[in-house]
Amino acid sequence: MKRHLDSSAPVDRRAFIKVSALAGGGLLVGTYLRFGATAALAETVGGEAADFTPNAFIRITSSGAISIVAPNSEMGQGIKTSLPMIVAEELDVPLPQVTIVQGDLNPVYGRQMSVGSMSTPTNFAPLRRAGATARAMLIDAAAQTWGVPSGECATDAGAVIHAASKRRATYGELATKAAALTPPANVPLKASKDFKLLGTRVPGVDNQKVVTGAPLFGIDVKLPGMLYAIYAKCPVFGGTVVSANLDEVKKRPGVRDAFVLDGIKGLTPGVAIVADSTWNAFSAGDFLKVTWNEGPVATQSSAEMARQAEQLAKATPPAPAPAGAKVVEAAYHYPFLAHATLEPQNCTALFKNGVMEMWTPTQIPASGQGLVVGGLGLEPDRVVVHITRLGGGFGRRGSNEYSLEAAAIAKKLEGTPVKLMWRREDDFAHDNYRSNGWHYFTAGLDGAGKVVALHDAFVKMQGGPGDMNASGFPFIAIPGSEVKSSKLPPGIPTGYWRAPGDNGNVWATQCFVDELAHAAGRDPLAFTLDLLAAVPATGGRGFDPAKMTAVLKRATEKAGWGKSRPRGEGQGFAITHTNNAYVAIVADVTVSRDGELAIKKLTSVVDAGTIINLSAAENQIQGAMQDGISAAWFQKLTIEKGAAAQANFSDYRMLRMNHSPPVVDVEFVKSDAPPTGLGEPGLPAAAPAVCNAIFAATGIRVRTLPIADSSLKWS
Amino acid sequence: MSKYTLTVNGQSHSVDVTPDTPLLWVLRDSLGLVGTKYGCGIGECGACTVHLNGTPTRACQTPISDVGHSAVTTVEGLDPAGKHPLQQAWCELDVPQCGYCQAGQLMTASALLKRTPHPNDADIDRAMAGNLCRCNSYVRIRAGIKRAAELAAGSATLQGGRS
Repeated sequence: MKRHLDSSAPVDRRAFIKVSALAGGGLLVGTYLRFGATAALAETVGGEAADFTPNAFIRITSSGAISIVAPNSEMGQGIKTSLPMIVAEELDVPLPQVTIVQGDLNPVYGRQMSVGSMSTPTNFAPLRRAGATARAMLIDAAAQTWGVPSGECATDAGAVIHAASKRRATYGELATKAAALTPPANVPLKASKDFKLLGTRVPGVDNQKVVTGAPLFGIDVKLPGMLYAIYAKCPVFGGTVVSANLDEVKKRPGVRDAFVLDGIKGLTPGVAIVADSTWNAFSAGDFLKVTWNEGPVATQSSAEMARQAEQLAKATPPAPAPAGAKVVEAAYHYPFLAHATLEPQNCTALFKNGVMEMWTPTQIPASGQGLVVGGLGLEPDRVVVHITRLGGGFGRRGSNEYSLEAAAIAKKLEGTPVKLMWRREDDFAHDNYRSNGWHYFTAGLDGAGKVVALHDAFVKMQGGPGDMNASGFPFIAIPGSEVKSSKLPPGIPTGYWRAPGDNGNVWATQCFVDELAHAAGRDPLAFTLDLLAAVPATGGRGFDPAKMTAVLKRATEKAGWGKSRPRGEGQGFAITHTNNAYVAIVADVTVSRDGELAIKKLTSVVDAGTIINLSAAENQIQGAMQDGISAAWFQKLTIEKGAAAQANFSDYRMLRMNHSPPVVDVEFVKSDAPPTGLGEPGLPAAAPAVCNAIFAATGIRVRTLPIADSSLKWS
Repeated sequence: MSKYTLTVNGQSHSVDVTPDTPLLWVLRDSLGLVGTKYGCGIGECGACTVHLNGTPTRACQTPISDVGHSAVTTVEGLDPAGKHPLQQAWCELDVPQCGYCQAGQLMTASALLKRTPHPNDADIDRAMAGNLCRCNSYVRIRAGIKRAAELAAGSATLQGGRS
């Protein structure tokens, strides 16, 4: 999905202003308040008539209070800080003067999905216009007051100034007058050289709340009289409830109710237990005995899938290699992954007066609303969604099935708020996993070491993202190369996991390119640069080989590529073009004789267009690189008898401080281009850089993930 | 159900819960102190780390019946003004990503700094390995601990934010 959205597409300005006027006119306020939504929602879009609300994102009161709405979900990517920064830049107001308000789900805010690294690219232009339009109206208000031309006025730090007459008025003083003006059309935007805020380091607006333990997350929501629920589903995917010992469960301490939910569209059948505390709900869950109808998926297992994948790959063989070519073959495999957001899935719901009000940590609030509308037969305007902070997203919180579960439970307990809390074990058992995948590569090298044929028999689960074709690198560098894609039967739910597709496929292809370089007896850097030089300038998927080449050259230069190193020390690199960003990563590793891996340093160079918040951008790239390494080094979710075999962090290992590389260098290419995605591009190239470095250190080629399953012993 | 009196952040509280209720859920559900987080329920992730008489302890593995007269300190009580050197360093260096693990990181790190005022990388690796950061903010957590050590020693003045 990430590649098909054009971030540079022009936004229909008239539609934008029309929607804005709707918000300013208070129509939506009336609509929502009629159904008894909370004061918090009214605060977001309501206010006094004298307030200046040129659009849904900005409010300036006559007392000088300025608030900016952050429309998208904060899950660690820093969006609650960076989107308001864009507004503040054009409005010309210092961020500390601004109160940032998390927007609820509301059509006036446009696209509120926080997926595919698209929040910034899609909001950049409209939010700049929102700020610039408001600024122009404040200037007009001042100019009219002073009887001077608007063109003689400027702005500075939340005030309009007229230098010739040395007059100055704050935005607050101008708010009432500006509120009576008609929004102008075609307001010019700042030149990037005039940015004061964008590109600087701005700490997260909620950091103080985070470090003092203030309530922010979905799990922290507490409403008067709230009850706590768990929802038990069949461990085997697609299974249904036959019977459950509900009477026994209802006798457990603190339990208020227990019931089976079935026959609701979009809802996996299961057993709800509602209690007076989270612990009493969890404890009662230990006494729950359910007879499940496991269904057909119970025969599926990771081991059987591997056998099927091999057969499928054999059914799509390569064409015979060109005469005289040296044939190189390799099979790569990556497993299922869980998202394992540290905050388990949860949602608080209250059904009252025909309105379902939900507080939910979600990446796509509209999808949760849609599920509830479809499953419970409510009209969309009777389903209110408040967006809480997310304790991690990584693609997990787009599906919103937990929102429907909470709403279905709350509907049965009309008038009582209910917090549905997934146990960690529920979270591992009922994820939408990153699909497993297999690449069976066959390549041909000519006498000069040039790649003259490349065939990839690729296999993954049916459904979900992550498909492959030959439009990406390195395929576009090799005429006649092909990807033959096959699918395993459905049954295990798969979905979006940070950098979908690229998170596994870039690992496989970038490791195989390194293999080919060694098979050709060439330096991997020179080999890859030659491949990039062979990419047509108008390559597939908007790929610009010049940008890719530039970041690769810079990263390898910074990392000291090409120096000779003793056995047991190695350097490797990999590149990726993900969410329109260009990333090169060099990894420095050591491997002891008994096979202990240590990652000493990661060096990355990133071309992501305009950088909004340098601090958050750097944190994202550092985190994403290590996320990729965490997955590749340790993580593996296996399916046995149609169910997840791992249940908690004790058997699903992840990267920790003691394995984290001590030096993680990030450099951004200076660019005036529109911002690309940033939350995901740092991930895909990290694991292949490490695996290529392991090969350089030991001669051991890791072709199956996780790395921890391979012996790296050498002598 | 049984009645328990416990001292949290210097304040005495009485709760009426089942004896096996973990301190984690007493803090969150009974006392409304939600800074301490649930991540795994088996003591593997460290998100629920609190201090019991100054010792970092997994609140999810501590039944209320075992707390007794121990002084419980949570992230809300780490510093009365929310200005512990670690909290200042976390804000200055913009450490958090999603922020969900950070209460546990801060409680573990504060015990480390008390024991080892100037920890090196190996000290930090040893002390912090029990605290999972799913966003992998380890670079900044490490830098934040070192920065807090400087602030605590008075050898550096606080910056409003790096620029």
